[in-house]
Amino acid sequence: MKHFSLKYTLLTYRLDQLWFPIAFWMLFVIVILIINEPSQSTDMSLAYLGTAVPLIGGVMAAYAILDDPALELRFATPIRAAQIIIERTLMIFFIQAVCAFSFYIFAKSIDVDFSSIGTVLDLHLSWVIPTITLIALGTFGSIVGAQTMIGAFFVGIVWIIQIIIRDGMAINNWKYFYIFMGITNPEHPDLHANQIALLALSLIFFLCSWILLHRQERYI
Amino acid sequence: MIEIKGLTKTYGVGNKTINALNGIDLRINSGMFGLLGPNGAGKTTFMRILAGIVNPSSGFVKINGFDLTTESGKHQIKSMLGYLPQELGMYTELTAIQFVDYMAILKGIDDSRKRNQRVHEVLEMVGLAKESNRKIKGFSGGMKRRVGIAQALVNNPKLLIVDEPTAGLDPEERIRFRNLLVNLATDRVVLLSTHIVEDIGQTCRDLAILAKGQILFRGSPTELTKAAENHVWTLTMQGMEKPNHDLTVVSMLHLAEGTQYRLVGSNAKDYANAQPAQPGLEDGYVWLMKQSNQMVEMI
Ligand SMILES: Nc1ncnc2c1ncn2[C@@H]1O[C@H](COP(=O)(O)OP(=O)(O)OP(=O)(O)O)[C@@H](O)[C@H]1O
Ligand SMILES: [Mg+2]
Repeated sequence: MKHFSLKYTLLTYRLDQLWFPIAFWMLFVIVILIINEPSQSTDMSLAYLGTAVPLIGGVMAAYAILDDPALELRFATPIRAAQIIIERTLMIFFIQAVCAFSFYIFAKSIDVDFSSIGTVLDLHLSWVIPTITLIALGTFGSIVGAQTMIGAFFVGIVWIIQIIIRDGMAINNWKYFYIFMGITNPEHPDLHANQIALLALSLIFFLCSWILLHRQERYI
Repeated sequence: MIEIKGLTKTYGVGNKTINALNGIDLRINSGMFGLLGPNGAGKTTFMRILAGIVNPSSGFVKINGFDLTTESGKHQIKSMLGYLPQELGMYTELTAIQFVDYMAILKGIDDSRKRNQRVHEVLEMVGLAKESNRKIKGFSGGMKRRVGIAQALVNNPKLLIVDEPTAGLDPEERIRFRNLLVNLATDRVVLLSTHIVEDIGQTCRDLAILAKGQILFRGSPTELTKAAENHVWTLTMQGMEKPNHDLTVVSMLHLAEGTQYRLVGSNAKDYANAQPAQPGLEDGYVWLMKQSNQMVEMI
């Protein structure tokens, strides 16, 4: 028994929340086209991919599971907690991936220079890893607090603090948990360790969310 | 069959605790079972526990041999459950067909041909066949409830739990709904909670009264009516005079010769003109609640 339908997962998603990623996407594209200056275009593109996409993913993830009008009905069906988490977070990730890829294609079409980040893989890892991390944090925050707002708050706080103290984040032991290292310090010797640490942390967030989601009474 | 022993549920709110259920022992067999009780009695808590959504604080629940206190037992129980919550939230952008179809998928009905057939069948049963392609957001409250019952039935559940399903329905709709439930109860357990006494009297052979998290009564509607025997009176009083506080006013009627009261109480010896009356189901309920000091002043 699969208990799953892509069609209805999409149909029941709060489509009105899509304005959020679309608006950011258009904003960055328009600003880059208006400024039309190569080094600025690179900075803006990296800011979009490496910071805006993860932020949007994290905030959307905070709403993805609990902002469900039929949650009590869903809880009364035999679907597993893991399925709820995977289904919802994958969809959020998918939305971010579509935004990031289409933006990347746009940037390439106007010859934005990404060579400072390294290879194409490095460039894509620089948004994939922080996006996964903030999606995990948003999911965990909303489930641990049993409120969507709390997840969004966690994501917002971590995002803004890390941007403000980014230079400090890259040097001491915080470097393993510095979300934006891929774009701000692409040549950091511990970049790979940082990426692995962030993925491990995300896994822990997801596991905790999974355990906590079994206590369904907290969420209805 | 449902077997419940020593079931308790405590909610922690801030640094206070609320005992929503206080040691429930019940055996419920196949057929309609009514759960009657005032607001805050613990009905929804009880039903959510049986639906596997709320975890009991202590006690033991077995449904058709599956232990609800284990994760795997809970999973088994949810596979044979139909549940209509008191506060029914739905995906209102979907049509009735889509919504019931989606719930059927979540309940694990994979074969799309069989599912399609079953979805139409249940929508037909609740009388929504004609409107089934309309979006739920355009439905009236009664129609939404019917979609709710359709999704509960779609997996042909062995256990059907409906929490105050008739609240907000017009009389005609309520009767339809009751009859539907009675038909369904021929070969499964149907658990119905309500605070409308008549709903139970018309449909259930077996009922329990829950108040402050405890079972006050367990038996048939006839037995509940009997409980008030010799404790129901009619009394006509003149002017502004009111019956004393030992007597609970169930109804009153203003007549030319004064006000006629229907009263429930242990005796009406203070009033020479009080006449004993035939008890009804509601009188039985009032009498029991009064006995357990649950009754608030009615006038
Ligand atoms: N999630 C919760 N957290 C804290 N207290 C709760 C919670 N759910 C219910 N309660 C408390 O438990 C008691 C029983 O509530 P419940 O909803 O089970 O009553 P009910 O019989 O269904 O009432 P009603 O007829 O109004 O629906 C109430 O005192 C209520 O305040
Ligand atoms: Mg209730």
